[in-house]
Amino acid sequence: MSQGRFVAKRTLQGIGVVWGVVTVVFALRFVTPGSAINAVAPLDASQETRRAIARELGLDEPLYVQYGEYLFDLVRGDMGFSYIRGQEVTSLVASKVPATVELAVAATVVAIALSIPLGVVSATRRNQPVDWLATLFSLAGISTPNFWLGIMMILVLAVQLGIFQTSGRAVAGVEVLAAIVGPASFIETLRLWLAHITLPAIALGTYFTALITRLTRSGMLDELGKPYVRAARAKGLPETLVRYKHALRNTLIPVITVLGLQLGTLIGGAVITEAVFSWPGLGTLVIRSINLRDWPVLQGSLIVIGTSFVLVNLLVDVVYARLDPRVVNE
Amino acid sequence: MDDNTEKRVGRRTFLAAAGTATATAVAGCAGDTGEADPTATDTETSGGGGGGEDTETEAESTETASGLDVTVTMGQMDSGLDPQDHAETNTEIIVGQAYEGLMDRNKTGGIVEALATNWERVEPGVARFTLRDGVTFHNGDDLTAEDVAFSIRRIVFDDTGIASPQKNDLGAVSEVEAGDGEVTVRFDGLNPIVFQLFATNGPVVQQSWIESNGSDFINRNANGTGPFQLTNYDSGNEVSFERNEEYWGEVPEVATTTLNASSESSTRVNRLLAEESEIVTNVPPQEVSRVESSDVAGVNPVPSTRIIFLQMRYDVEPFSNKQFRQALNYAVDVESIVENVLNGFGSITGQPTLEQFTGYNPDVDPYPYDPEQAEQLVEESGFAGAEITLETPIGRYLKDVEVAQAAASDIDSLSNVSCEVRQREFSSLVQDITTGNIEDKPNFNLLGWGNGEFDASQTIIPLLTTDGALTILKNDEIDSLMQEAQNEADPQAREEILQEANARLHDLAPWVFMHQQFSVYGVASDVEWQPRSDEFIDVDTVSRM
Repeated sequence: MSQGRFVAKRTLQGIGVVWGVVTVVFALRFVTPGSAINAVAPLDASQETRRAIARELGLDEPLYVQYGEYLFDLVRGDMGFSYIRGQEVTSLVASKVPATVELAVAATVVAIALSIPLGVVSATRRNQPVDWLATLFSLAGISTPNFWLGIMMILVLAVQLGIFQTSGRAVAGVEVLAAIVGPASFIETLRLWLAHITLPAIALGTYFTALITRLTRSGMLDELGKPYVRAARAKGLPETLVRYKHALRNTLIPVITVLGLQLGTLIGGAVITEAVFSWPGLGTLVIRSINLRDWPVLQGSLIVIGTSFVLVNLLVDVVYARLDPRVVNE
Repeated sequence: MDDNTEKRVGRRTFLAAAGTATATAVAGCAGDTGEADPTATDTETSGGGGGGEDTETEAESTETASGLDVTVTMGQMDSGLDPQDHAETNTEIIVGQAYEGLMDRNKTGGIVEALATNWERVEPGVARFTLRDGVTFHNGDDLTAEDVAFSIRRIVFDDTGIASPQKNDLGAVSEVEAGDGEVTVRFDGLNPIVFQLFATNGPVVQQSWIESNGSDFINRNANGTGPFQLTNYDSGNEVSFERNEEYWGEVPEVATTTLNASSESSTRVNRLLAEESEIVTNVPPQEVSRVESSDVAGVNPVPSTRIIFLQMRYDVEPFSNKQFRQALNYAVDVESIVENVLNGFGSITGQPTLEQFTGYNPDVDPYPYDPEQAEQLVEESGFAGAEITLETPIGRYLKDVEVAQAAASDIDSLSNVSCEVRQREFSSLVQDITTGNIEDKPNFNLLGWGNGEFDASQTIIPLLTTDGALTILKNDEIDSLMQEAQNEADPQAREEILQEANARLHDLAPWVFMHQQFSVYGVASDVEWQPRSDEFIDVDTVSRM
């Protein structure tokens, strides 16, 4: 199979998965308790008013008509209209994506910056105190719920020490970049950005950091025991070169795969972290929409999250196919 | 605020001396400045910078500041800024900074002037409002009688732009006429509480602004006459306002205000304690001591207009029996629940109407806790051995599940009744409660009811009369009394009728009368603000301590 056909096949499979996500998300409205009408109407609204709202929301149409219309609108890029918020869903969801992506990327950066050096040091100093500490950190990072970690960090680092902000998002990452050319002060904007994003990024990235640390450690140990490393050493190559140019490079291939897949997980998994830190992204929007029974917005948010998973997976498949052509023929 | 500045400087000095890592120090300085937004006003940006320069800048900003900067953190954000197209408190709080109605309420619920300076009932079913002169919208245009008439029509008539969820909030309006500096409103029937309704409802918008803009725009912008005008709307994140210098009333001491939200109560409290917010809503009982023991904030509780009760359907056994219903009222130790579950943030009720409302009957005492009397009444009712289930929403009201569990435990401890709790997601429970058929409603459930009009009828009619939208009671005497009250123009005579209805309802016991819920706010120590019982946050009344 050619690489082109491989990519086309994966893309078609991705479209199928997205369609499945859309269908499941649409069906959820009808199997979960509660009604959007109660979110729009006051408690003491008459039955006549409730019926009028149902008509306005299109809830009185047959199911297949609602589904067909929804799919048709989606294809045109229209996720519907939130009558509860009085806003277009597409623009509302789109406005929240940057905050969530920014947080996910920041968490990934934190994870990469900490985990790979830690994993390497842990592997190269096996059974030494630094390895034990790294293993302990990994175990704690994987075992600690991120919401609890978030709350603890807020209490200590924001409330007690006043180093960071407890919650919210004052400036976007792109505003920090824009500040390089002015007119806002770059340092000031950077400070504000870091004050808000550091704690949620650590809270969200800790599990990920621990995971990659373990992966890097085991990968490095595996590589360092292979014949080509022994050969390199026998050739008299400096140990630093052996470790970082040869062994680490090979270790990073599966690490990069996991990194890519985890980025999708972070986008979806940021819901709880966003709630704890009042981060105005998709997660906060999802929770608010569930509370309000704002189905168009909830559907739009879930579809975007699901699609981002599919896209990231597709990207990882394509990259992997380039790196290891054997995958194409499997 | 001066104290704050000193603390902030102290923290920075400490951080600098400690040689905190670069990124941390960078973040820390900004963290202290809290609400500073580099894209906002000069005053706000002055909090930035580092080291000595920063200190000087901050001191300068405090001296030159033309007013307070107040941040309010609530549980949820708004559902759009159209003041007439929503029906929930959080949106009301946000849009209420920019929009106002003909009349308003003071801290204790009393009626005060707003855009109308005078109001009168010219004949039964006809009310006339005299408008205030010299009022302008935030866009600079004058307020006209046509704008007011349009605003009322837009709320009550479906064909005037929107089907407003506030449609029933002003009574059965049949006609609205704009005159010379006055507006006349005609109703189907007497509408005895017309001025109570207009004091709570009916925000005024500008006709030309509404008609020339679409729903999406109206929900993202604001053009009212209120004390604050919108400066930034970040949907679902925060809404910012600045003082309206052309306001017809007293210009607030608050120069800018930002309203944001966190659904996590601990995050709200943390914002308060980290001095990022001046006012936070719904401090849970378990967090009160943490706030009180801090030196930066305190707790400010106020009785709300919400009553919590356990309602029983009149048409199913054993609740169809009055003695059984009364027995449950004797069985539940509400005083203990308020003290132990709600940390004292509640007051016991014995009738559907709260103490500060029109129609409250001061001669009616709450049912005392008397399990022996309860057991005896159960025996007399003939339903000894009854097994009942109390359905409760989860997280809708303050400690709702814990309150329901405590009440059910009291009932279950009777020797001749057993009671268990069924927890339900609120939206699911409310779907059953609001169904048109009483047969589909829960037999026995916990519910809360807010009444912003401060009038007994607004609780009794929807909840306890035969045709009420949420009723669980059918009683000819109550129906007749409420009909009489709604047709009585004399306020004194009407109040007596409502008091009689409350006394009868105490005796009929359609609910286990529980408590009046308190709203518990966290307020920064450096500002002075008294909360209102109707849950509206009037930021314009915040002042420097």
